[in-house]
Amino acid sequence: MGADEQRVGADLHDLAAPAASGMKKIGHIAARDFLATVGTRGFIVGLLVVPASIALVISSSPRLFRPRDFQVQGQVAIVDPTGRVTAELRSTLDPRTIAERRRALARQAMAAVPDEMRQFGPNAGSDEAIQIALGGIPNLTLVERSPTADLQQEKQWLTEELTGEDALRPLALVVVRPDAVTPESGRSTYGAYSLYLAAKVGDRIENQIQQSVREAIVNARARALGLEPGSIDSMVRVDRVRSVTISKEGEQQTISAVSRALPFVFVVLLMIGVMMGGQSLLTTTIEEKSNRVIEVLLSAVSPLELMAGKILGQMGVSLAVLGVYVLLGIVVLLSFALVGLLDPWLVFYLVIFFVITHLVMGSLMVAVGSAVNDMHEAQSLVTPIIMLMVIPVMFAAPIARDPTSRFSIVMSFIPPFNTFAMLLRLASSVPPPWWQVWLSIGVGLVSVFAAVWFAAKVFRDWLVDVRQAAQPGNPHSLGESWQLKPECTREK
Amino acid sequence: MDAAILLKGITKTFGETTAVRELDLVVPRGGLYGFIGPNGAGKTTSIRMIMSILFPDSGELSVLGHSSAREAKDRIGYLPEERGVYRKMRVGAFLTYMCRLKGLPDDSLPDRVKRSLARVGLEGTDRKRCDELSKGMQQKIQFLAAIIHEPDLLILDEPFSGLDPVSARQLRDLVLEEHGRGATVLFSTHVMQQAEEICHHVVMIHRGRKVLDEQVATIRRRYDPRRLRFDPLDMSDPTPALSALAEVERVNRVDGSYEILLVDRTDPAAAIRRIVVPWRPRASRSRGQSWKTSSYNSFRMDGWAPTNNGSAQTFTI
Repeated sequence: MGADEQRVGADLHDLAAPAASGMKKIGHIAARDFLATVGTRGFIVGLLVVPASIALVISSSPRLFRPRDFQVQGQVAIVDPTGRVTAELRSTLDPRTIAERRRALARQAMAAVPDEMRQFGPNAGSDEAIQIALGGIPNLTLVERSPTADLQQEKQWLTEELTGEDALRPLALVVVRPDAVTPESGRSTYGAYSLYLAAKVGDRIENQIQQSVREAIVNARARALGLEPGSIDSMVRVDRVRSVTISKEGEQQTISAVSRALPFVFVVLLMIGVMMGGQSLLTTTIEEKSNRVIEVLLSAVSPLELMAGKILGQMGVSLAVLGVYVLLGIVVLLSFALVGLLDPWLVFYLVIFFVITHLVMGSLMVAVGSAVNDMHEAQSLVTPIIMLMVIPVMFAAPIARDPTSRFSIVMSFIPPFNTFAMLLRLASSVPPPWWQVWLSIGVGLVSVFAAVWFAAKVFRDWLVDVRQAAQPGNPHSLGESWQLKPECTREK
Repeated sequence: MDAAILLKGITKTFGETTAVRELDLVVPRGGLYGFIGPNGAGKTTSIRMIMSILFPDSGELSVLGHSSAREAKDRIGYLPEERGVYRKMRVGAFLTYMCRLKGLPDDSLPDRVKRSLARVGLEGTDRKRCDELSKGMQQKIQFLAAIIHEPDLLILDEPFSGLDPVSARQLRDLVLEEHGRGATVLFSTHVMQQAEEICHHVVMIHRGRKVLDEQVATIRRRYDPRRLRFDPLDMSDPTPALSALAEVERVNRVDGSYEILLVDRTDPAAAIRRIVVPWRPRASRSRGQSWKTSSYNSFRMDGWAPTNNGSAQTFTI
């Protein structure tokens, strides 16, 4: 066993041998760090900022994301060799038809909204609400072109400048394929159409045109078969219903939208808690170094006791934050009568995975804090650690979409992503088997041990500013310090 | 002898620099030791090794009978050179926190904190935040944090730096009170006068090496800065001319050299300049100090020399 390992062993012995005294000191450090953090105005403001920001975004999003409410006007040209689509398109581009189509879309969307939530939007589905959500109905004038028109010349039309005040701007050119309504002989598949757009035509207008053309072609095909388009529409439309989940506790309407959001909510909660605690650990460690209070503390406690106390204190802070947010979430769910969605075991696992992630990330943060002398130096070292927390959020969507995929399972056992991945899977509609959960927790605990061991080494070796101890021959750069520090503070 | 601090052959290097070299030190229990030397001599590094904040490359140490200060932290008071307080914390809370970290029971703390503050004339400041106090007051709080648990061993690294004369005197009295209570005291300074005033024993360190380890009384006897040893190139007797100088009280012939006793309160540096003008020296040294001639017509003192005003200085003539 090398000298360094002996030293770590000695550190651990400091914690273990005079256990009562050591643990008591760790408790005092944790309590001071906790109170020093939660007692500040900054913390209280920060605690309220996140829910306030979410409330602000929710309340202001209709206005923030409201499409421009002026009416889009313009011309849509059609080249229709079938001779059957033009009339249908004139009908489907009619503002009244567009309005009716949007109403049908709104009805479909509202069908998925739980009854309890509809009371918060009594006007949802109204023309006014649709107007806010989708913007004004465009006024599109159809311009018919010859079936044998020169395509290049027609494309050129889209680039023409407006000449008069009332002149309608060319927006789009629709070129229907000859087999779009009736398949070519010997074939059963239909042709489609080509769409050419003028510059700066928004997605919303393009969607309206595409929907109108699609509907026009379907209607033309139906008529070609001697069918009434309205009856075809009625025949193929089956309204989406809300499923009912049957459990031992009884029947409850399935609220898939909320269920789908739940895993993401838990991952965001985990990330906020860990980020808040980690950042705080970093800043308090740097602050104690710059306040020059660190050596005073080291006269009373060992470096490992100091580090353990700090990590536990900030974990308390993060748990308090997490507790507040979870309580707020429960209150919201209660008010929507959706609390049944929240499995208490999920909250239990949230706490378990939070503790694991905090210990890993917090250890890394405290290591960085002890290795640098100011926030400026810390920034470059902190970026990779923040990336470690951002990566699982990037993977959240594929894991939540398919929690039983090989990718999801593998991610559940790769630290430090495993806690995020497993929490996503636990909150999904297909929870993992219990042995996978506890194996992931085991892997997490191993990663905690490794992170704490690494952080303890860095914390112990770099905490005191050895650049001062090293004078003369005082190195100035972090690189020089890196070469110097481990050597000069290591017990031989 | 029961040693509070025992260092045997301690060596510490930082990269290419050897900060402490083969340092031996014994501080007996109840001792009042001054650790002196110029800046960069290795005092702070030695103290940090005693405190188990740094670790020696080689050698052995023992603190209060333990192989590491960690095992006796609650019995040691330490005022580091790099010291500070939690700026946003209240004074009383900070001292209470330090007491708790030193393992004191909670029930005695409020009284202890109040009494401690009264000792340094800071009654009623316990509810103030540390950053509301002046720098001098903060230094007193830092000192209190080191002694509030009544340690058996008190280690102070440059305790008087940055203090005004009144505060320095107050701190000196507190150090003496702690020693009177029975604590072993080791403090570092680069100012000889402070060591002379407070300590019973002085250890001088220079460039990482111990160059002096004596009782103050012995040093005063042996290293009287008023005595100069003079070896002129000119073999004729300089006694009459030297005796005529106002700065010179007496000249004696000792071992082939001339020992010059300066008049009390004479600046040795100024006197040396007067002496060497008429005679080109072959070699000259202050008693007990290491003087070297780099050539016949120039010399300099290679090391630290105490002067009447207590400051350390190096002569170059």
